[in-house]
Amino acid sequence: MSYIIYLLLPLLSISLVVLQATLADIFFSGRLVIELSLIAVIYAGFRMELISGSVFAFITGFVFDCIAGSVMGLFTFFYSIVFICSFIFSLIIDSSRLLFISLYSFCCALTEKMLVILFYKLFLGFDASTGLPFVFLSETLLLGLLAPAFFYLMRRLEIIFYGKPLQRAEHTGSG
Amino acid sequence: MIFLKNYKSLAFVVFLFLVALIMLSYSAKYGQGGGVFKNIVLETAAPLQSVLNSSVTTVSDAWKRYVFLVGLEEENKKLNKFIGYLQSELITYREGYLDAQRLGEILALKKSVDYPSVAARVIAKDQAALSKTILIDKGSAHGLKKNMPVLVPSGLAGRLIDVSWHVSKALLLIDENSNVDAMLQRTRAQGIASGAGYRGCVLKYITRDQSVAEGDVVISSGMGGVFPKGLLIGAVSQVEKPHTDLFLNIRIAPFVDFSKLEEVIVLITEDGK
Repeated sequence: MSYIIYLLLPLLSISLVVLQATLADIFFSGRLVIELSLIAVIYAGFRMELISGSVFAFITGFVFDCIAGSVMGLFTFFYSIVFICSFIFSLIIDSSRLLFISLYSFCCALTEKMLVILFYKLFLGFDASTGLPFVFLSETLLLGLLAPAFFYLMRRLEIIFYGKPLQRAEHTGSG
Repeated sequence: MIFLKNYKSLAFVVFLFLVALIMLSYSAKYGQGGGVFKNIVLETAAPLQSVLNSSVTTVSDAWKRYVFLVGLEEENKKLNKFIGYLQSELITYREGYLDAQRLGEILALKKSVDYPSVAARVIAKDQAALSKTILIDKGSAHGLKKNMPVLVPSGLAGRLIDVSWHVSKALLLIDENSNVDAMLQRTRAQGIASGAGYRGCVLKYITRDQSVAEGDVVISSGMGGVFPKGLLIGAVSQVEKPHTDLFLNIRIAPFVDFSKLEEVIVLITEDGK
């Protein structure tokens, strides 16, 4: 069963990245990106097992790199960091609170944008700070608002599929 | 922490992290990366993207078409309104053109007759079954008097029977009370053209021995002092020769279409009273 999940993860990641690109096209004519993949990685950090979650984060980042056409490995690396941070946070703090999810997602998105700008400036010599901050800020705000809704929907899906919210081994003590 | 006990999981995560870091470093340094995996992702994403895009395009097109149709409806309303306006303009201009044509004919008629004349517009028609009269917008103030002949370009229409200051009533040729001294243009045989209502006119008092044929033109004879000689009345449409009667039964089809009278001229004859 777990192997099937690992086979499905790449397809899920690809679908997610394609979907977010399409949604961005529909709602914002491609000017703003709704980074559902980042929320999904945060969700993975909060709710999934360490290995499957890290694989999901790695693949999603890789797919995002491939499809979004950014520097190869940038989002793979960043999504891995986000996953690890989320995973650690979920062990320390109650990550089921919607306000926390919203703020955390906002911070992650903001950090991601700043790191992207920094990376482009330091390694590629391209100053992305002019004009883009407004877009980046809008995207992070949007992400902060969408994250609780995403988590809520996923929780509903968990109940539909498993009959109760998913609890990983680290929380139940069986891992 | 329980997960830290599972060093294999941690090692795996660290491995993935390092792979990502190496990939990023390699990509930043050489400007490429991903290799065959990137191609696989792109090949897999392409059909999915294509399906999603076509769905979005379909919905988008439908929406645009809807918006376009809404706009089209508005435009259609505006155009229909504009068409209505243009049609009314066209009718006005066409009416003006027809007016001009008729007035031109009246003017030509005025010039062709030897008498002074007054052009008048028909302002009303008597719709009574037994009375065939019209009202015109000229009267004694314009020099009109009773019994003055009323003409249209196609021929004699009638005579004035009532004259007010600014309005006059004319008895049409087809009225049962109308009698005009007339003659056949070809044979010069004289008689009286009397109105016969919807049947037109009849020519009376033409004796049996006269030669009358269908299509013979009937004109005013100038006798009686009301109508000048030579005004067109109509053409013979039917001739009957009764066995017992002295006179022929002759039916005349007037040249004037009395249902379409709009402008007329009134001849200022000396015999007008």
